[in-house]
Amino acid sequence: MLVYLRQRIISSLLPLVVVVVGVFALARLTGNPASLYLPLNATEQMRADFMAREGLDQPLLVQMADYFGGVLRLDFGESLRTGEPAAAMALRAFPATLQLAATTMVIAIVAAVLVGCWAALKPNGVADRISSFVSMAAASIPDFWLAIVGIWIFAITLGWLPTSGVSGPEAWILPIATLMLRPFGVLVQIVRGAMVSALSEPYIKLARSKGASDARVVTHHALRNAAAPALTVAGDLAVGLVNGAVVVETIFGWPGIGKLMIDSILQRDFAVLQAAVLITAIAIFILNILIDIGYALLDARVRPTVKA
Amino acid sequence: MATPLLQPEGHQHSEIDRSGTAATHTPDARPLEAPPVQDLGDKKLSLFRLLLRDKFATLAALVLMFVGLVAVFGPMLVGDLATRQDLLAANKPPFSLDDGWGYVLGSDSLGRSMLGRLVVATRTTISVALPAVGIALVIGSLWGVWAGYHRGLRETISMRIADVIMSFPSLLLAVVVLYVFNPSLGNIVLILAITRIPIYLRTARAESAELQSRTFVDAARTFGSKPTAIIGRHVIPIVLPTLLTLATLEFCYVMLAESSLSFLGIGIQSPDVSWGLMVSQGRQYLQTAWWLSILPGLAIVVTTIAANILAAWLRIATDPAQRWRLSLPRKRGGRRFGTALKGATK
Amino acid sequence: MIFSTLAVGGTLVLSSCSVANSEQVEGDAGAASDTIRVVLSQEPPTLEACEANLTSTGVVVRSNVTQPLVERNPTTGDIEPLLATEWEATSDTEWTFKLRDDVTFHDGTPFDAEAAAFTIDRAVNSDLGCNVEGYVFGDDDLVVEAVDETTLKVTTASPDPILPLRLSFVEIVPTSTSSEEKVREPIGTGPYAIEQWDAGQRITLAAYEGFWGDAPAYPKAEYQWRSEGTVRAAMITSGEADIAMGIGPDDGIGELGVSYPNNETIALRLTGEIAPLDDARVREAINYAVDKETIVSSLYGGTDKVAAQLIPEGVVGHNPDLEPWPFDLDRAKELVAEAKADGVPVDTKITLVTRSAQFPKVTELSQVLQEQLSQAGLNVELKTVETSQHLQYQLRPFVTNEGPIALLVQHGNQAGDAAFTVEQYMTSTGAQSTFGTPEFDAMIEEAGLTEGEDRQSAYEEVFAYQNENVVQFAMIAHQTGIIGKAAGVDYEPNSSSGDELRLSEMTPAN
Repeated sequence: MLVYLRQRIISSLLPLVVVVVGVFALARLTGNPASLYLPLNATEQMRADFMAREGLDQPLLVQMADYFGGVLRLDFGESLRTGEPAAAMALRAFPATLQLAATTMVIAIVAAVLVGCWAALKPNGVADRISSFVSMAAASIPDFWLAIVGIWIFAITLGWLPTSGVSGPEAWILPIATLMLRPFGVLVQIVRGAMVSALSEPYIKLARSKGASDARVVTHHALRNAAAPALTVAGDLAVGLVNGAVVVETIFGWPGIGKLMIDSILQRDFAVLQAAVLITAIAIFILNILIDIGYALLDARVRPTVKA
Repeated sequence: MATPLLQPEGHQHSEIDRSGTAATHTPDARPLEAPPVQDLGDKKLSLFRLLLRDKFATLAALVLMFVGLVAVFGPMLVGDLATRQDLLAANKPPFSLDDGWGYVLGSDSLGRSMLGRLVVATRTTISVALPAVGIALVIGSLWGVWAGYHRGLRETISMRIADVIMSFPSLLLAVVVLYVFNPSLGNIVLILAITRIPIYLRTARAESAELQSRTFVDAARTFGSKPTAIIGRHVIPIVLPTLLTLATLEFCYVMLAESSLSFLGIGIQSPDVSWGLMVSQGRQYLQTAWWLSILPGLAIVVTTIAANILAAWLRIATDPAQRWRLSLPRKRGGRRFGTALKGATK
Repeated sequence: MIFSTLAVGGTLVLSSCSVANSEQVEGDAGAASDTIRVVLSQEPPTLEACEANLTSTGVVVRSNVTQPLVERNPTTGDIEPLLATEWEATSDTEWTFKLRDDVTFHDGTPFDAEAAAFTIDRAVNSDLGCNVEGYVFGDDDLVVEAVDETTLKVTTASPDPILPLRLSFVEIVPTSTSSEEKVREPIGTGPYAIEQWDAGQRITLAAYEGFWGDAPAYPKAEYQWRSEGTVRAAMITSGEADIAMGIGPDDGIGELGVSYPNNETIALRLTGEIAPLDDARVREAINYAVDKETIVSSLYGGTDKVAAQLIPEGVVGHNPDLEPWPFDLDRAKELVAEAKADGVPVDTKITLVTRSAQFPKVTELSQVLQEQLSQAGLNVELKTVETSQHLQYQLRPFVTNEGPIALLVQHGNQAGDAAFTVEQYMTSTGAQSTFGTPEFDAMIEEAGLTEGEDRQSAYEEVFAYQNENVVQFAMIAHQTGIIGKAAGVDYEPNSSSGDELRLSEMTPAN
């Protein structure tokens, strides 16, 4: 395991560099930030001063060498927009996204497992039909639209929840509910599918015939079988969330990394963009490794014969 | 490349069915262990008959067919209805025939027919989603199968490339493409396709890596078949159902992603119109003219659900180990999908 | 690389427990009437005083945290005393200001001529690259001298009759402020001092006890930001905020919306040197083809005003006698046909460029414009771009390889003097002007040197001349802004509210 981890970490370093280099180069393709940061009537002289001050008048390779030189000294540059160190801005925003994503995934997984199991107990029963329909619908509604409808109903009409912001526990409800729907919808279907086939396996039938209760069969036997595919899909969904719940963050004023990223893209704030991408890329690599480990553990328990 | 999605009874499946016949009567056997067996029975027809047995799946197929027809022929029928403006007749509520059938779904904020716009948007939406899914499917699958078959360095490098794409901000890609090129449909397709390649790549690789160690592949290898031949003849047919199922689900994802891009202002731009763009632009009228965003939203939801139902059905129908469920009255399941995805992150 | 990556990972773990949960107790207590809660459309990038002419910064800083020497009354357009009590031009290029002697900064240090001189020097003559320098002063430096504690002398390189107006954009900071780098949280002389800035979440201000004027009605102020207009409106209707900026007509604010003329004007700017827009008849046809009345009444609920010139009433130089171009589709078609008969390639594709989310309903407006110009017989294609791209069309050097372009521009004259408009938009070399004529340039230059009533009439003529002889623009409308205002607050927005939201003018309603 340790050997695997070490290899995995080493082999992940190069992609990290590739991501940052790619972002660095692509970002500079989107045009010169000077006109965004200078007054509309800026003179040529002011434009040239700006470019020189930000090092944007250098050839791309020189800029890149400077940047990576800085990164080695933990200097990620400064934001054009705010003048703050870019790394500080990214590090400040990331936990907000991480907390939101983690809470969302935990709730979505628990809810999906419960609903999926309930549906799988009687395949094609009423509960199954309803839950499949609801979960499919949940996974297919545009999130920004749902968020706005949610605000309209729960914050304006009913007045139960705050519209937006990060002001207290109840402010988490709408963003999480909005973010949760797609993972929940997808996972319900995965869990249900896996459970249905697990429940029809001979050894489950055996357990049942020995008089094990539904609850015991589900929790001790079938669920374990269903865990592997669910984990994988959940992992992919989590990666999506970590990469920034841009839309939800934008609407609810959530100070997360997704909002920071889109703002810095639109504002051509290159240093911040690079720092934000680096952080999320690292997080995604870590998450992928965790999923692998989780899967290896499950695999070892469930199917020891399959390759480790 | 997009045809398999529209025609689930297409020829690819006859090959899959071949591989499955042996397993059909032994439902608990692991399907992947069964080598493809030659059987040229008339599976095409039976797949269609199976479809008719499941009324939800039939309905779903009909819905998708309708959407397809609207996308192809609709814009011709509505003519200039979608672009004709009348500021004095803006935001007319739906379900009234006062202004004729063209305005049965009401009018938008510029007095254009909602029906006409929905129809034109159907074409745009489909012509973004289908090619995006198709391109990602073809590239991702072939690449993944190749990487999984050969394993070793090729596999590792491919997986790391997938990692790179997945952790790359697709929004930046969108802005770059919109900035350097033009916000045209083709470019949106390109962005969506590139960012979704890893999904197929990982799934195909996992399946193919497992397959290449199987005895029947080994056998083919010892008989001197070339890798491309083995991949084409033995690996792809078995992996395909999983990938097609995945592609159907991705179809929904791509529609939603396109609408999110519209929301952020970097997706499809006026005067083009897609369902996602309509939802996005209609959102500010939610309290004054709900139909502007609800109707296109409904179109997305209905199409997605139909695609999902059909995908769920398809993954059983094309899975030899599960197919027997369909011959029983009202049984559905989804194990294949689960096993297929399990290795996706490996 | 390995080390840096790990280090980032480490910091990440350390800081991950602290941020998003650091909600404040005051957050909820804000409902109490001692705090005025404002919701903006974006977080200020910085509160640096020398960038206060940026809307997103100025709306928080100006007149609340920092103050200039003199200020412009947004209603009358007069320059009024603030930190300076009186001023006069002692020669063509020299101005003398008398300053107040009872003012202290938030850190307790007294305000004097030295601080004023330091601030102007820092904002205008330094290498900081302050936005205000480019916006109001250009490349010319000012010579500033503190004669004594309350006397300041400012010398310009060339005669400048509106120097006091320009100085109204320079927010005064103490000499302790760094002149090496920009300062995110400035110290000022205003009624409020910055209490805390929770980046990404909120800014809180607290009334400064030593303020030289009347204490404001609210001891505290809190700013938050949401980018969706509907969400800002919802925060007012649900009682989470007292003032919401930048509400659109359909955001659902209902009766809590207060509309006010926001000094912004929208128009199409035509590239008059590229065929077919190089023919004056085609440009006139565009003016006739745009049905401004219907646009205003149908899209903007009748609150906007049909425009005849780039500046609205209240700005020095506005010509009250100028009539908007009438909507006359037949005349437009006629002009296009005439031009065509003379060999003008009227079928050439004209690109109508607009920026997404530039102002409420911009997408709708651009589609209407495309339709109306097409009706006149022109071949118009719509292109929607984002902010940074839009600037490539708006500013010199312009995009040149896309043929004739009609750019939808939104122009706001914050300064209140036509000079800020015409030098930019109408001279043949203006940064935002596609063409001009030598006579027109001369006329504009002369107008810039006049004062008082002469200035007013000189600019009036400039605007009339543009419409009759140049026709670079197809005017559309003078816009109105909407702010959301909770019932518990008394506040009357004015034309500068969007750039300078004076908290001290807000009082609890009784």
